[in-house]
Amino acid sequence: MNEPKLRVSRGLAAMRLAARGGARYAASAPRLFAAAGERRQQLRDDLALRTAQDVADTLGTMKGVLMKIGQLASYVDDGLAPPARRVLSRLQDSVPPMSPELAAGVVEQELGGTPEQIFKEWDPRPIAAASIGQVHRAITTDGQAVAVKVQYPGIAETIAADLGNVALIRSLLKMAVPSQDVTALIEELRERISEELDYLREAEHQRLFAAYFDGHPTIRVPKIIDELSTARVITSELADGARYAEMLDWPQEEKDLAAETIYRFTFRSLYELRAFNGDPHPGNYLFEPGGQVTFLDFGLVKHFTPGELGPLVRMIEALCVEDDPEGFRRAMEEADFLEPGAPIATEQVVAHMSLFYDAVRERGPRTMTSEYSSAVARRYVDFKNPLAAYAKIPRPYVIVQRINLGLFAILGEMNATADWRGLSEEIWPFTLAPPTTPMGEAEKPWLASRETRSRSD
Amino acid sequence: MAGPVGCARGLRVTAEVSPQAGLFQRAAAAFAACVPVDPADDGFFGPGSVTWRLHADLSVPVSGLRSLLLQALHPLAMAGVDQHSQWRDDPAGRFASTAAYVLTTTYGDRATARAAAMRVRKVHERVRGVDPVTGKPYEAGDPALLTWVHAALVESGLAAAARYGVALTTAEQDQYVAEMTAVAELIGVPARRFADGGAPASVSELDAYFEAVRPSLATSKSTEDTASYLIGMPDVEPELADAWQVLAAAAVTSLPGWARDMYGFGAVPPGREEVRQVLGVLDAVYLGEPGVLEARQRLTLRMRAAERDQQAPAR
Repeated sequence: MNEPKLRVSRGLAAMRLAARGGARYAASAPRLFAAAGERRQQLRDDLALRTAQDVADTLGTMKGVLMKIGQLASYVDDGLAPPARRVLSRLQDSVPPMSPELAAGVVEQELGGTPEQIFKEWDPRPIAAASIGQVHRAITTDGQAVAVKVQYPGIAETIAADLGNVALIRSLLKMAVPSQDVTALIEELRERISEELDYLREAEHQRLFAAYFDGHPTIRVPKIIDELSTARVITSELADGARYAEMLDWPQEEKDLAAETIYRFTFRSLYELRAFNGDPHPGNYLFEPGGQVTFLDFGLVKHFTPGELGPLVRMIEALCVEDDPEGFRRAMEEADFLEPGAPIATEQVVAHMSLFYDAVRERGPRTMTSEYSSAVARRYVDFKNPLAAYAKIPRPYVIVQRINLGLFAILGEMNATADWRGLSEEIWPFTLAPPTTPMGEAEKPWLASRETRSRSD
Repeated sequence: MAGPVGCARGLRVTAEVSPQAGLFQRAAAAFAACVPVDPADDGFFGPGSVTWRLHADLSVPVSGLRSLLLQALHPLAMAGVDQHSQWRDDPAGRFASTAAYVLTTTYGDRATARAAAMRVRKVHERVRGVDPVTGKPYEAGDPALLTWVHAALVESGLAAAARYGVALTTAEQDQYVAEMTAVAELIGVPARRFADGGAPASVSELDAYFEAVRPSLATSKSTEDTASYLIGMPDVEPELADAWQVLAAAAVTSLPGWARDMYGFGAVPPGREEVRQVLGVLDAVYLGEPGVLEARQRLTLRMRAAERDQQAPAR
């Protein structure tokens, strides 16, 4: 008898969802993850997750992992193919909040008492959705208003099991971001997810940022309440402020100040803390007039070794300060961005890469626009460029691409004007120039206190 | 196999999907259309039934494919499909309308479910002939054939769920088989006890049925072509082709041993978790199609309301 052909392909290598539909570059930057998370709150309570089994049904069997792949993909690539984006955003919509009882159960398990026992006041309705949990408002027994982030029960085990199917994840990543080095992405994904599942790590990151920016005139990072934080619950100061969408309606001067704060936060973190909050998403910012910005959510923080950061710094120095194309190329090769000895003229390398440094090549005010950020994003995934065959994004830098794709998109949307080069010179470790703006002046006492602290370390 | 006509709304929506649309897209459109928005009643099962739960389970794609593979082993059922259905011209459309039929009879109100069944019965009237392999005459409305198609579907639902889906208790399995006799009767199986020629109404009757029917089963070139086609499935979306292979392996693995032997399938058992992960990805793709999430939410809300009513003290 003829045996019908039966082939079990564990690799699912041909699942190229991304191949469907032609338009790779949508006009707006993909924000499917957290943006959809905001919509999630509007879901009706009567669909709430009521048991750990509901959580497993909704986020298990790869669905939670798929959502994280979507998030990662939006960090490293401009245009997820429309069908992939639709799938991921619908998937996000399919996750309702936890029922008050389910959330209270997690609090009880983690903190050893019901929310009513642990807190003076507890709001059973979540105020925000987090990627694998939700945020409740509460007042501690000593009267402090706090935000309590509660993780979905069983999610860590569920996602850990799904992360074991590397072959399937590999094909899903190939599908979502065909342009990227999948092996590097898998490692990054696994590391980021396991980090994000562990709220102790997140609390640690937030403590680091909060301590570093403590006393800063415009940057706020809510402090962690240690005794009310565990692997699955994080309690921090409750922050207030306008949401991103609201701030976009503010006068341009206010938007410029907010943009300056975001810029200072990003690059001071990167060059001085050697840490990058890989989720520069507008949903994670709260705004107040005068450039005050509160930064929330440190679930996705990337730390760099000096060896990893060095070449990035060198590239800027060579290109923007020393005007040394060969030095720039050498630094790129050192970071593994560019294959050594690639048969591409250095001037071509510089011509291709310089767009990313456009805002900081020269002093003077410059307005960020959505056109610029889209051009940057397009340049990033420009495979027709002869450089593409010899260039790649090595694993340590996967998340930093979010600076180019995410930060510039936000600043562009804010239409922010600043002397970005001036701000950068204040922060670049090889310039450390004096203040160029009033905010820079206002930073002085904070910077001085930081120096005192680092001397006493 | 069930008749080629699905619920009216299913067909309308299926028709709106482009003819090149793949299997999953067509099935998703059928699902979105066949879960009613404003039903007149709870239909033949209702939100508290095991059937509602099982027919929304992650294991449904495996169960669907498995039941087609099983159904093809009856020479007369195979002949009827071969000689009368143009399914090879538009397999995705045919699968979608079969799915629409099952979904309508499951979740639709009674009038809609009856109407769908009447349409299928009407088509069945014309389906008669002589099976070239066994030389036996057949007609699609024959209760024996209808019972075969029904039993294969019900047994596949249980087998796929047991391996890859929701865990049902023994009592729930019996309940499912009993509940499903309602659709057997809709399509023309006599409303009698199993012993008197009705559809099996418990797991043990289902087992007894398969014991009894096995001598009438056989494979032929037609069966094998059909199985090869189902397993190779050229009409699935190209990017889902490899996922289909995992699904096919799961369907084959969950077949009864005797059915696998008849086909000569070797055992290629993919692990439960691997299959569930692939099913989860397929489910996510399915969710990405318009209306699917909303249809699911409609079902969840009705099932939860039924649960609340059950828990509320009787007045």
